[in-house]
Amino acid sequence: MLTPRQSRFEISNLTIIAKENTEHAFAISEALKLHLKQTSPQKKLPAFYVLDSIVKNVGTPYTLFFGRQLYATFMEAYALVDTSVRRKMDEMLKTWKEPVPGSMDPRPVFPPELTRPIENALIKAKTSFVQAHQEHLKNQQQQLNRGRSTASPAGYRDTPTPPNAYRPPPPNVTPGYGPNYPPQQQYASPPINGQQYPNQPNGQQPYGPPPGPPSQQYPPQVASGPPSWQQPPSQGYQVAENSIARLNSDIDKLITTSKAEWAQNPYDNSIGTRLKALLDLQTILQNQQLPPNQIALIKDQVDQLSEASQAPKTQLPPAPVYPPAPVAATQPPAQQPSLSSILGPGALAALARASATPQPAAPINAGAPIRSPQPQYAQPSYQQPPATAPASTPIPEASSLLERLRAAGMLPAVSTPTSAPTPMSSLPVPPGFPPSFLNTPPSASRTPLANLSNDVVLKPASLKEKRPHLISSLYERLGAPCTQCGRRFQADEEGKKKKTAHMDWHFKVHQRMAEAEARGQHRSWYVDELDWIKSREVEDESGTATTVANNSSAASAAANNPKLQYLAVPDDPALANSLCPICQEKFEMKWLDEAQEFVWMDAKKVGDRIYHASCYAEATKDVITQVKRGTPEPAGVLGKRKAEDDYMALRTKIKTEN
Amino acid sequence: MAMIPGLGNAAPTATFSAPAIAATVAVHELRAESEWRFEVAIGQKIEVRVMSGTAELFGTELALNHIYTFWGTKSSIYTWHGCRIEVTGLCEEYTAEETPMLQYANTHFALERLRDEAQQKRGEGPRVLLVGPNNSGKTSLVKLLTAYAIRMGRQPMVINTDPREGLLSIPGTLTATPFASIIDVEQGWGSSPTSTSSPVPVKLPLCYYYGLASPEDNTKLYKPIVTRLALASTSRLAEDQIIKETGMIIDTPGIICQGKGGYDLISHIVSEFSVNTILVLGSERLHIEMQKRFSGHRTSTGESITLVKLDKSGGCVDRDDTFMQQTQEAAIKEYFFGDSKSTLSPHTQQMGFDDVIIYKIREANAMSFLPGGMEEEATGLYEKVEPNPGMLHCMLAVMYATTSDSQDTVRDASVMGFVYVSEVDDKKRRFKVLAPMNTRITDRPLIWGSWPEASMSVIA
Repeated sequence: MLTPRQSRFEISNLTIIAKENTEHAFAISEALKLHLKQTSPQKKLPAFYVLDSIVKNVGTPYTLFFGRQLYATFMEAYALVDTSVRRKMDEMLKTWKEPVPGSMDPRPVFPPELTRPIENALIKAKTSFVQAHQEHLKNQQQQLNRGRSTASPAGYRDTPTPPNAYRPPPPNVTPGYGPNYPPQQQYASPPINGQQYPNQPNGQQPYGPPPGPPSQQYPPQVASGPPSWQQPPSQGYQVAENSIARLNSDIDKLITTSKAEWAQNPYDNSIGTRLKALLDLQTILQNQQLPPNQIALIKDQVDQLSEASQAPKTQLPPAPVYPPAPVAATQPPAQQPSLSSILGPGALAALARASATPQPAAPINAGAPIRSPQPQYAQPSYQQPPATAPASTPIPEASSLLERLRAAGMLPAVSTPTSAPTPMSSLPVPPGFPPSFLNTPPSASRTPLANLSNDVVLKPASLKEKRPHLISSLYERLGAPCTQCGRRFQADEEGKKKKTAHMDWHFKVHQRMAEAEARGQHRSWYVDELDWIKSREVEDESGTATTVANNSSAASAAANNPKLQYLAVPDDPALANSLCPICQEKFEMKWLDEAQEFVWMDAKKVGDRIYHASCYAEATKDVITQVKRGTPEPAGVLGKRKAEDDYMALRTKIKTEN
Repeated sequence: MAMIPGLGNAAPTATFSAPAIAATVAVHELRAESEWRFEVAIGQKIEVRVMSGTAELFGTELALNHIYTFWGTKSSIYTWHGCRIEVTGLCEEYTAEETPMLQYANTHFALERLRDEAQQKRGEGPRVLLVGPNNSGKTSLVKLLTAYAIRMGRQPMVINTDPREGLLSIPGTLTATPFASIIDVEQGWGSSPTSTSSPVPVKLPLCYYYGLASPEDNTKLYKPIVTRLALASTSRLAEDQIIKETGMIIDTPGIICQGKGGYDLISHIVSEFSVNTILVLGSERLHIEMQKRFSGHRTSTGESITLVKLDKSGGCVDRDDTFMQQTQEAAIKEYFFGDSKSTLSPHTQQMGFDDVIIYKIREANAMSFLPGGMEEEATGLYEKVEPNPGMLHCMLAVMYATTSDSQDTVRDASVMGFVYVSEVDDKKRRFKVLAPMNTRITDRPLIWGSWPEASMSVIA
């Protein structure tokens, strides 16, 4: 049985293999299906995770091939495994009904006509055989009691199912959290806290020291007003609109949600930060009399936050049909446009983002490309038709409420555009007037600022203004940090891939360093001007910047040859100046990140001599090509010439420009 | 170039009125938006662990519960949200609540705006020049802006035009380095490539050798090297879209911030790099001088120059000559022997006097009393010299050029690496050098400058 960590690597490896060999997708999927059928029950789950990872990360054609006998594949296995595995399979199935998190494609992983029969069958089975099921379970346990505990790779994905009747709530959940969930909703809507992977931080531990105790500088968790969670969430509905009481209860609800999230995910500072902001807000409201317009403003913000925190839970078609949300108060969606126009896109986006951060709390996703029940913070973008938004709506004042609260130590004068109507929640949505921020693509992994309002200019006054929402673009908006180096990764698909590769990279480096320790190391020469100009810091699959020389032979060799031929530049001075005996040309020196040293590309050592691998291959092919080699015709040599010509051209260019 | 927010001097007790000598293990609670400034004497080290909250060191976020080791440095850890850190080892330290970080971070976001614009137009990101007197925090701000840009997925090109301190290289060099990966917080800027892996990705600097301490020691050498540096960087930018969008961040020597000669050098850098943003640190007078000089100025592409004055951090401290000398020696040692994380083994090579071509840099401006500069023109930038005992314990730059190249070509060549003269035997006409690796260097011209200074302690 694999350890969780091993299986994570295995799964990501297998996924990569599947990705690289899509031309054999049929064979691969058949092999996996067969394996799923034949393997012992306690090994089925990891295999399903491979399937899950492949369909989510690679997609077609695998979805097609796996889809063919999905019912059989799933149900046959389901019948044989124990409850804990079943629970995980349920979860997995649920994610198949949703789009791939972070993906632009709104279609579900598997089409509903494939998942629905499975679901129906499961529901039937559950209702009619509850008791028989218990019996069966017992028997099964007896049969399998050896392999039981290892059956699920716990560290890998011990995702808590939605809090349901037979599962005790996680011990650290704040009291009152569980009860807030009407039981019938637990299956109907994707779990809120099912996304938290409470034991995830452990999954990462092979790389670093165990995380310390939850951060303590955010006292709210302890000091926070207990009143907040004593208030049943539904209370807010009866209270008159726009009243402080209503606002308070909304804030309470948000606090409750945040606390629950935080309890599940104590290492995620962004939740803590948000919680603290909410608690501050609550204190302010409780202790001070505020002018009505400011209260209105706060209310808007809170409403937005509530909505934002719901957004991830549901798949919404463009028409705003809001399913009941378990915790946060539901606001009529109609409010959104007016709010965003009052507060500016930045504020809204910042909050929406903030409330989505629990998911980026991706220490979880550390090594796993697999995303099953995943946070979907990208989703707000599905809620509104993107095209029509008046992106140019003049909204100069875009700092968030919380920012202002902090900036003035309290609530400073509000300078939002006054033309906007007071935020009454019942405003009808003008069709085609969605909040402009929703138009930006969901995964702004490159420039997180793109959808934040950034009004800073290089003027003394502008440089002195506080803009916490911008600071957050250096922290929580970038996703969750790597435990090794603090680099943050988005929770979207791309970010997760990067993070997985990044963790692998850390791992490899540790290995290589240990090896290098033994053989002695030295500083390398600096690169030559032209090599430097030609080199690129490439954000590659490994999630680390790699410097590659972006020219001819290296690139093409790498493309044709998965294992490219190179040799470390020899330390022996005699060899270091050697020429290829075949073409009498020098070797091309490069810094190769993969090897972490300077290498000669396309080089091969045969006996005591070093050849160009291509020359050597050419020379040893057969007699006919050997004859050819005498002339300067062979493609390999010609290609090299050409590269050199480029170099010369550049060299002269630099010279002439100088 | 000078700021190292930290405190006191290398001789710890001298400047520090009430040195807080930390206990072996101490836990500090930092409030939001405060800065923990610390100084570790050369030869000492401390370990710092962020237990909770968020913390950053010159803009680079520190990982929670990761143990960072600092040695021989004056530095600071800032927190936007508050944090708690555990410090093991002895250092001088205090916590400051007042910092210009808000201004600095906003500067970054203003630059981000310009980068976003550049990205949309597929144009060039801002070329930012930092000027300010010695010890005003230029280098620290360069580092902060670089780190923030990296965090947002950018790739800034960082240019160092200050020969007093090296950037990923030894003092006396001028470098250009694209930064795509996290800055090594423990080691200043990080490391140039070695034969092994590094826990923080290595950076690839392009080095030119000036070899004197101050740009004004020989402007006839300094200017063409800056020109060459700008040419290479611009060529890279032209082909490298992501760096182009991000732009450049240029560090300058503090010494050129006074007097007309210095301002002329600033103008030279501004025009060679097409600088369109100038950040003036600390000095009101310099700010006004810069305004006078550049208010109507247009870059080669017709852009006007934005000039803004930023506050100097209270964490900046004067670094005396002793400290500068110690850091210089540390940089040389590190070049050959690595740091505490990975040990490097240099090679010793022996060469005959006649095997090598060595050029000694003339300090032209020192002879400027000579009439008309005729002599300088006539004698050239370098003087060809034989190895001699005066070279003992000096650094020689190995140039990417051939021994038959002209002096101008050698001057424009980039640096392949450095060797350290460990022994000169006049009688046998042989000398020994320490080289990073065992490659023949006799087919390359070597340059002998007066900076970095000769230092015994490298091989001690």
